[in-house]
Amino acid sequence: MGRAIVITSGKGGVGKTTTTCNLGAAIAQLGMSVVLIDADIGLRNLDVVMGLENRIVYHVVDVVKGKCTAQKALIKDRRLENLWLLPASQTDDKDAVTPADMKKLIGELKATYDYVLIDCPAGIEQGFKNAIAGADEAVVVATPEVSSIRDADRVVGLLAAQDLPTRLIVNRISAHLVKKGDMLSQADVIEILALELVGAVPLDEHVVASTNKGMPAVLEGKSVAAREFQRIAKRLIGLEVETAPETGGGFFARIGRALGFSSATAA
Amino acid sequence: MWNMFRGKQSSREVAKGRLHLVLAHDRVGLEGGKLQEMRREIAAVISKYVPIDVEAVEVQIESKSRATELRVSSPLPARGG
Repeated sequence: MGRAIVITSGKGGVGKTTTTCNLGAAIAQLGMSVVLIDADIGLRNLDVVMGLENRIVYHVVDVVKGKCTAQKALIKDRRLENLWLLPASQTDDKDAVTPADMKKLIGELKATYDYVLIDCPAGIEQGFKNAIAGADEAVVVATPEVSSIRDADRVVGLLAAQDLPTRLIVNRISAHLVKKGDMLSQADVIEILALELVGAVPLDEHVVASTNKGMPAVLEGKSVAAREFQRIAKRLIGLEVETAPETGGGFFARIGRALGFSSATAA
Repeated sequence: MWNMFRGKQSSREVAKGRLHLVLAHDRVGLEGGKLQEMRREIAAVISKYVPIDVEAVEVQIESKSRATELRVSSPLPARGG
């Protein structure tokens, strides 16, 4: 029996789709079979981020409406042995699918595949409810910004109300800005959201280039973001990995903390 | 830590402070108007028992981790002789 993980955030534009794409590819690289589901009906994007947009024949709404089987709608990623995409529909409404439909579909997929990753749409309405319905756990993606963390906090509350185990990915963190005192550190975000961290992905221009090409960064080589996605993938599937390098300030900040008068402890 | 010498908060600290405040209110779901209404009612109750300056009563919502608490503070006058 496989495991379903929903990637969510509340706010749009924080990297949910890129995270889903890279974690999916990274888990597949570890030898597990993975299906990625784009749950953003009406605004599909995971297909273009994956570079599979030209191969779509059927989509998730077709499957739910019984027009085809899930197997038939899945697009096999030819770059990896065991990675598939179930695209969203671009023309239907969010309410073309119900939480019960998603539960049933994901249950079927879990019987065959090791992992099902669900790319959740932004917002906390119908699309969100559909996306979390069949999930066994959630990963909340937040960037170190006030607006992103505020929305993430709302989502964390909603996930807790559903008793869904939830962990955190801090995305697009810049050690340089944290050190300058111009960005919240991963420790700040963990403290505020009170979630367990699965990883902190550095701000990395390689990810922009990969997305332009429709190539998951983890398939492209050894950018810092790709390496962190690979570490997160290992943690998600339960392999022990060392924690991410601390980005919360440099040498002086550490001395300050040790002496007990840093800004972080005083706040 | 250099900000300590400059006497100025870094934007990171400002962000943290703003988040703590915003989240405290978000988590309880009390909008500004409701909070003021509650403040006035609490002040009225206290003033039934002790003569106080009802305008000096403050209510604050604070959030640490996922626990949120309401703090009411009111200066109480010393009993006049």
